[in-house]
Amino acid sequence: MSDVVSLSPMLGVAVIGGTLAIGAYGVVVIDRLLYAAVAGWPLSLAWAAAQPAREVATVIRRQPVTTEAPDMILWVLAPAAYAGLAATALSVVPLGPGVVVADVRTGIVVFGAAEALAIVAIFLHGWAPNSPLPMIAGYRFVGVALSYELLSMFVLIAAALPAESLSIGAIVESQQGLWNVVRQPLGLPLFLVVTAGVTFTGPLDIVDANDIAGGGAAEDSGMAHLAWAAARAAMLVAFAAAAAAVFLGGWIGPVLPGAMWMALKTLAVVVTVLAGRHLLARVRPERFVRLAWTVLLPLAFLDLAIAGAGSL
Amino acid sequence: MTLAFVVFAAAAVWTGYRVFRTDSMVRASFLLLASFLNVGAILVLMLAEYLGTALLFMMTVEMVVMALFMVMFMMNPAGLNPMEMVHQPRFAAAAGIGSAAALAAVALFGRFPANPVDPNAATIRALGSELLGGSMLVFESAGVTLLATMVCAVVLSSHRGRFGDGDEGSVAPPLEPGGDHRPEDDLVDDADGGHHMHHGGH
Repeated sequence: MSDVVSLSPMLGVAVIGGTLAIGAYGVVVIDRLLYAAVAGWPLSLAWAAAQPAREVATVIRRQPVTTEAPDMILWVLAPAAYAGLAATALSVVPLGPGVVVADVRTGIVVFGAAEALAIVAIFLHGWAPNSPLPMIAGYRFVGVALSYELLSMFVLIAAALPAESLSIGAIVESQQGLWNVVRQPLGLPLFLVVTAGVTFTGPLDIVDANDIAGGGAAEDSGMAHLAWAAARAAMLVAFAAAAAAVFLGGWIGPVLPGAMWMALKTLAVVVTVLAGRHLLARVRPERFVRLAWTVLLPLAFLDLAIAGAGSL
Repeated sequence: MTLAFVVFAAAAVWTGYRVFRTDSMVRASFLLLASFLNVGAILVLMLAEYLGTALLFMMTVEMVVMALFMVMFMMNPAGLNPMEMVHQPRFAAAAGIGSAAALAAVALFGRFPANPVDPNAATIRALGSELLGGSMLVFESAGVTLLATMVCAVVLSSHRGRFGDGDEGSVAPPLEPGGDHRPEDDLVDDADGGHHMHHGGH
């Protein structure tokens, strides 16, 4: 790939940080708008746009509380690790025509590694406070996470097949003419399941769930709570961008500049996932595990078979 | 480059050492993971990009599975309580130091070919051709053997439960000697009382 613009490290850090910050803000605004829409409140963009600042102001003034004998290092580092993994995942996703922060040949594998390590960060965030409900939530999340993790591997490998490359830039290029969402119709829905799992949103809000008193985040307070929420929004941005690049043709589109198409498609994925958050009920962990291994995993195999047959 | 290698190598050794000094299964698992991540980074430095990054996610999922299964099968349900993590510590330490010294001797005194990899070489393609070509039978048999081993290990170790063998109906002992009121009877099922059927069946 000779036409790839690789950003300098400093610029790359600024681009990733800026994209994640603006994106995370947008995620919260869209989420509150969707909440208002589902609740039947009057829709006000001004209210939603001010909502993140309002919530930050509320949370930041709360007293930080701690538990008895927590693993403080892990507890403090978990949100940082989770946000760092969001940045890592986004760094291999091309944001415009040939513009990618880290143009590595194994982009999709790096993305998968960030996704797998996110499981560790989420689990340790629940395990570290040394408190029953966060710990239970952490363990039940691991059960669910091990079930969705394989789906992600298969659908991403299937997307890499027609591109004959593990680079996400090459995967976008391979969708000139026909997007993967059409060529491999099972890929995007399965990847959205994975996205809901990694960002523990909607039906897969298994870890920080209300049915377990806040779960992994039950003992978080003040800034720690804020950091975790921000990291979660950033992770959704990274996964939505990856879904847009791998399945929706990335920057490919008429008239508008490529980066604009990429932003619009990412936005569409974010809205879809967040709508699922407000419209779908949370699935019970054991029910999801059964569904994942008996229905979703065979569908992922089928997706791989379709991709293989299409690439012959 | 050299500095990065030294940092990753030192971190790999230090976290590897910490695995045996910690008192928690969860900490031990994830310290081992940290050690593997540093080894993966060294592989990436050596331009084995695919092997390095694949090691990252393989080891991550593997260590998560290991932590989960260790906690499931052992007496320490949380993994946060202190417990002794080493068996035969003297023999293990001697064997570890001995094999590390042997490997170090090979690294120091062995003669390695100077054969730098061209950064633009199609190493990933070559690796794929090897794995799914000449060495396919070896890798596939190893994979299936490992899977069978894991399934068998789970079957063998889950036979004996906390309150007796699985095939004899493993139920908690009654709260009073000779009585039939068991702890889980207090967890009343609201819907159909399905919980009580467990005892009738055995």
